[in-house]
Amino acid sequence: MQIPFGPYPVGLNLYPLALDLFIPTIFIFFAGASYRVTRYFATYNKPFIVYGTQVRGISQGEKIIELFNTFANSSRVGIKRKPATTAAGLLMHIVLVLIIFLLAQHMIFWAYYIPPYKILFPLALPESSADGQLAFFRGSNPYTSTPYPFVHDIWGPLTIILNGQYLTYLLLIFLAIYLAHKFSVVVERLSIRAGDWWFFVLLFIDVVLGFLATSHIPNNVFWYDNLLGAHILIAEIIIVTLPFTRGFHMFEFYLGKIREWYFMIMRRGMK
Amino acid sequence: MTQVITEQINMEALKKAIDDVFYNQIDSTILYYLQSCVNCKACEAACPFTSTSLKYSPVNKAEVARQLYRFRFTVWGRTIGRAIGGSKKYLKLEEVETMVDYVWHCTNCGACMFVCPMGIDSGALVDLLRQVAFKAGLVPSIYKEIEQLEVSGKYWEVKAFRDAWEGLISKMKSQLGKDIPLDKKSSEVLFYASIYEALVYPDVLMKVAKILDTLKVDWTFMSKPLGIRPPLGLILGDKEGAAEVMKRILDYFTDMSPKYVMLTSGGFEYPALRYTMHEVFEIKPKYEVVHVTELLAKWYEMKRFTIESVEEAITWHDPCQLGRRGGVFEAPRVLMKALSKNFKELPSHGVNSICCSRGGGGCGLPTMIEEMAKLVGITIDDKSKKFLDSTIVPLINAGKLKVDEINKVKASEVLTGCPVCIESISFAVNYYHANTQVKHIVDLLADRIKKV
Ligand code: SF4
Ligand code: SF4
Repeated sequence: MQIPFGPYPVGLNLYPLALDLFIPTIFIFFAGASYRVTRYFATYNKPFIVYGTQVRGISQGEKIIELFNTFANSSRVGIKRKPATTAAGLLMHIVLVLIIFLLAQHMIFWAYYIPPYKILFPLALPESSADGQLAFFRGSNPYTSTPYPFVHDIWGPLTIILNGQYLTYLLLIFLAIYLAHKFSVVVERLSIRAGDWWFFVLLFIDVVLGFLATSHIPNNVFWYDNLLGAHILIAEIIIVTLPFTRGFHMFEFYLGKIREWYFMIMRRGMK
Repeated sequence: MTQVITEQINMEALKKAIDDVFYNQIDSTILYYLQSCVNCKACEAACPFTSTSLKYSPVNKAEVARQLYRFRFTVWGRTIGRAIGGSKKYLKLEEVETMVDYVWHCTNCGACMFVCPMGIDSGALVDLLRQVAFKAGLVPSIYKEIEQLEVSGKYWEVKAFRDAWEGLISKMKSQLGKDIPLDKKSSEVLFYASIYEALVYPDVLMKVAKILDTLKVDWTFMSKPLGIRPPLGLILGDKEGAAEVMKRILDYFTDMSPKYVMLTSGGFEYPALRYTMHEVFEIKPKYEVVHVTELLAKWYEMKRFTIESVEEAITWHDPCQLGRRGGVFEAPRVLMKALSKNFKELPSHGVNSICCSRGGGGCGLPTMIEEMAKLVGITIDDKSKKFLDSTIVPLINAGKLKVDEINKVKASEVLTGCPVCIESISFAVNYYHANTQVKHIVDLLADRIKKV
């Protein structure tokens, strides 16, 4: 095992291991996703369509508005009838998307594997709120120009709030609310599934690990590499299991809503 | 409700039913519903039965189907899933009781699908369980006997039914002062009704006849009904029985070949006869099955008649099967707006309308079922009585939501387009002493239609 203050231990911690496993992870993910999609094709029955809409003519414009409504309805009703869990759910998704895809460190990671991702660099969110505070309170710009505008980016002083550090706090709060919700479900003896815990607990741990690594807690290279490695490894476990868990909803959400829209609007001419 | 059926469980029949239903019915849509739920419980907000208990939330009811699915169609379901309770090959006795209880706490109203962020129709999954229950002989005997009367065609031998139907026809004749066309082929409108409607709102049917006559429509009525409230099998989980009944109806419609088959009821018959029947037999009909509001709205917009409006505040309750399942939202609103400048939408309307908690899966009001049983000579034993009584609780709870909304808009009349909605909302209105009346839209409309 590596001692905390020894020479930099390349190859002897979790970080290189995690990096080495990234490509196999993606490969397994695609294999799993193909399996899931294949099952849909294997069980697909071509629908028999009874009517075009004769009594109710629905225009192209209305169809598009209804597509929007189909996606929005769930949140609309949720906010009205279950405001707390709906708001927590919506915000959690927003924060998750922001952190996963726009946190500067993550963007570099994605851009390494998918170079065109660089286009999004101006949207990068900094690690902490310090940049925003400097920009806002001191009107300061970076001392030296950087190849990518991470600091003086389009968010400007907004980064006081919009940064990895604060978003992580929020994310941990929302995930905790979700976990508490799951516990309440257990108490009420309602249906709960192994997959619920799997996803939320892993995500929670992963966010904590990422946060510790980025914040350099504890502050030494050994811990940094291992925490970062563990953070990536857990993310890889999540990615590998996505096609077999509820995590796959990030793709199927569109499938489900578009199916609903097709069924009700295109086939039944809902009007 | 559960004790009622315990003694009747034949575990072997149940196992066979579970295998039959689950191995035979997986298609991509059902597969999606079964495996893509994220257990977010957003659907709780939509279901009329969650006001009775959270255990009746759509996802919780559908979980029974998911457990059976996982065992059959997933690797983890067969391995660790079994050990940690995530999957089941069959059900234990108490689990069967729970399943049967759940089955009668879903009206297949479809509200959960529109609210689910994943677009999952939990009603369709509860329907799988209902099919299991039917195949295993776990349907309350009173429902089953009435349904079998319809499937066998013997309903027409019941004197009370015949009297109701023939009485209706002769009243229509005397109201119009002339013979009414019966089973006339190739007319513009085939006016369709069931025995159930003839029993619960003969006046509405007569008013429809009056409208058709006033507007000089080329129409025809049925010399005899095609079922009690066909196809009852669809709401009891009897797919085969429903298919038999639908075949009879399809043959009649095809033989009559009207331009429109017009229904007064926007209950489960509407999507069943408009869509399901033709989908099952893969036939594109030459006629179009429509609800009375669709046709009247179309004729109104074509200026075939005008509508004399009223002053009162009126509101519209969207029947689940006409709206969410059938797609009809606009047509009644065209008429409602013409009927009163004081037309007000209920806070929850359209795809988010709150179900009255009857209809498909909750069947009718217990008193109505009891009356019907008496008419056809079915004895209501203690078990059946207990079961029927237990179905009142959701009616009271879901009714409260509806009555609160009606009170909010201060509507003096609630109009709708389904006999069961009228009965159930009237029940709630009486129960909570609300100051409103519940009617079929035709009831108010008929006297206000003036031919141009
Ligand atoms: S709303 Fe949809 S995804 Fe959420 S628990 Fe209900 S069925 Fe599952
Ligand atoms: S279909 Fe209606 S009654 Fe059935 S679970 Fe869904 S919301 Fe509840």
